[in-house]
Amino acid sequence: MARSLRFVAVLLMVAAVTVTGCAKKKRITDESAIGDGTGTGAEESLSDRSSLGRYKHGLGPEEDGILKDVHFAYDSYELGASARDVLAANAEWLKENRRARTEIEGHCDERGTVEYNLALGAKRAKAVKDYLVSLGVASERLTTISYGEELPLCRDASEQCYARNRRVHFVPPSE
Amino acid sequence: MVERRRRRGIEMAIALWMFCAAGETAAQVRGTIVGPGETSLPIAVSPLKSMSGAEREAGTFADIVAKDLDLSGLFRIIDRGAYIESPQQSGVTADTIDFRDWSAIGAQALVKGTVEREGDGLVVEARLFDVVGGKQIGGKRYRAGSDELRRIAHRFADEIMQVLTGERGPFESRIAFASRRKGRFKEIYAMSVDGGDLRAVTRDGSIALAPSWSPDGRSLLFTSFVTGNPSLFMSTLDGAKRLVSSRRGLNLGGRWSPGGRAIAVALENGGGTDIALLDPEGQIMHFVTKDHSIDVSPSWSPDGQSIVFCSDRGGGPQIYAVSAQGGTPRRVTFEGSYNTSPAWSPKGDRIAYASRIGGRFQIFTVAVGGGDVKRITGTRGDNEDPSWSPDGRYLVFSSTRDGSGAIYISDAAGVRQTRLTPPGGDDSSPAWSRWLE
Repeated sequence: MARSLRFVAVLLMVAAVTVTGCAKKKRITDESAIGDGTGTGAEESLSDRSSLGRYKHGLGPEEDGILKDVHFAYDSYELGASARDVLAANAEWLKENRRARTEIEGHCDERGTVEYNLALGAKRAKAVKDYLVSLGVASERLTTISYGEELPLCRDASEQCYARNRRVHFVPPSE
Repeated sequence: MVERRRRRGIEMAIALWMFCAAGETAAQVRGTIVGPGETSLPIAVSPLKSMSGAEREAGTFADIVAKDLDLSGLFRIIDRGAYIESPQQSGVTADTIDFRDWSAIGAQALVKGTVEREGDGLVVEARLFDVVGGKQIGGKRYRAGSDELRRIAHRFADEIMQVLTGERGPFESRIAFASRRKGRFKEIYAMSVDGGDLRAVTRDGSIALAPSWSPDGRSLLFTSFVTGNPSLFMSTLDGAKRLVSSRRGLNLGGRWSPGGRAIAVALENGGGTDIALLDPEGQIMHFVTKDHSIDVSPSWSPDGQSIVFCSDRGGGPQIYAVSAQGGTPRRVTFEGSYNTSPAWSPKGDRIAYASRIGGRFQIFTVAVGGGDVKRITGTRGDNEDPSWSPDGRYLVFSSTRDGSGAIYISDAAGVRQTRLTPPGGDDSSPAWSRWLE
């Protein structure tokens, strides 16, 4: 009992450090207490429908869904006019379905290095999340993850395929 | 350029010839790798003489030494079929070798030696001879477990390069990489520099990427999605792994400092990814960069004082260097609109990186202070993620020139490039270890 209380205390301390973003110079107390990275229960229920969950089950990633994909120019995380239109519609749906949560997946085409593309995918996901929040969607309903160039929709070396892969995808929302 | 290379090669061949003719023990040739062919030093690598039931080891040792020397680009290996002396019927010392049998087939240098079983282990005596001078110029006796024959052979190849070039060779080391060679999942593998002794380090059935070595070559850092979040793990070569950093979002590209006291890593932080230093337990010591741009792919200077990384802070991806303590980064690359995945040479003077040119990625090197850009790879395929050999004379990188990604090595001038892994495995992100301890 004492041990599990201590575990909760450590978790809270870790959460405090994470939330205040003051990690600089500060020692995080217990690395193992952060967990396996899948986060809260709500995200775990999304994980089977995520592109990674589908990949583990031998399925390809999905394109679009109730919430439509957003596309990007090469090496860019800027939201163009059509991307903002899609996000406006997605924001409306999320505001009508107030309990729905989704994970925002950032993806890239295969050009560029693995590490840079993971960071670029994170930027894309973050740009989309920030825009949805600016349209009034509560930030805690949205999580982000980057898969970089690891889980493409298609693998042929054509601009058409590259363009499909440069996207943010929304994991089908759960209530 | 070609002309200059050729001339340098000839100069080296002459220097080697003078060295052999004069029979001096001090090495005359240093540093520069030349291309294959007529400018390389002709060397014969005889199977060892088996003293007690080690015939297989006698041949394997010579095979590995010969392959390493061939990969070095410095030598022309004389085909074993041409050898006149029988290894079992001839001597292994300068006064018992008939050097005329070796000069007759064009050899200027010769490797001979003995192997014998002793208990559970092996004793190998390997010698390097100057054929023209008729004398021994290098020799080592190794006592090792019977499973360490390959490692001894790599060590002796490094010794041969030490004697003949003045610098230890790079072969007693390993190369790790990410690959989908066994199905759709991306796993971490490690192999010898000759492509042998391949083993899977992860079997997670997920996405594992961006491996890098601990300074002692005994363990690997890599990023894996095995728990859902892209977290940083450490694993021994036999697959015993532990979590190092699992902060929400990217925990990417962990690289040990040369002294093993810190891990440089890219973490999602605020609006971008920043370079942070972790202690060996994974706790954040401090952030090296802190801004909203993409900062990824850290690589340490050999003195551990500086870090080079890729950042889009100026618009597109470019290479920057910064003090490991933090401060204002200095831009290193100015040619090209997309430069990424830097690797600081262990000699300290140059940085290798991948650059997009003509819609493809190619390997380049640049002086640490900027400028003096040299192109290493040609025009075929995408060539990415360079990593230096421990002696700083070679690079390993991935390339799609023969189809899906495979692993290649090249001398640091790009003269000779050799594929180490079969194509079709979608191999990526190779990392060359330091010398094994």
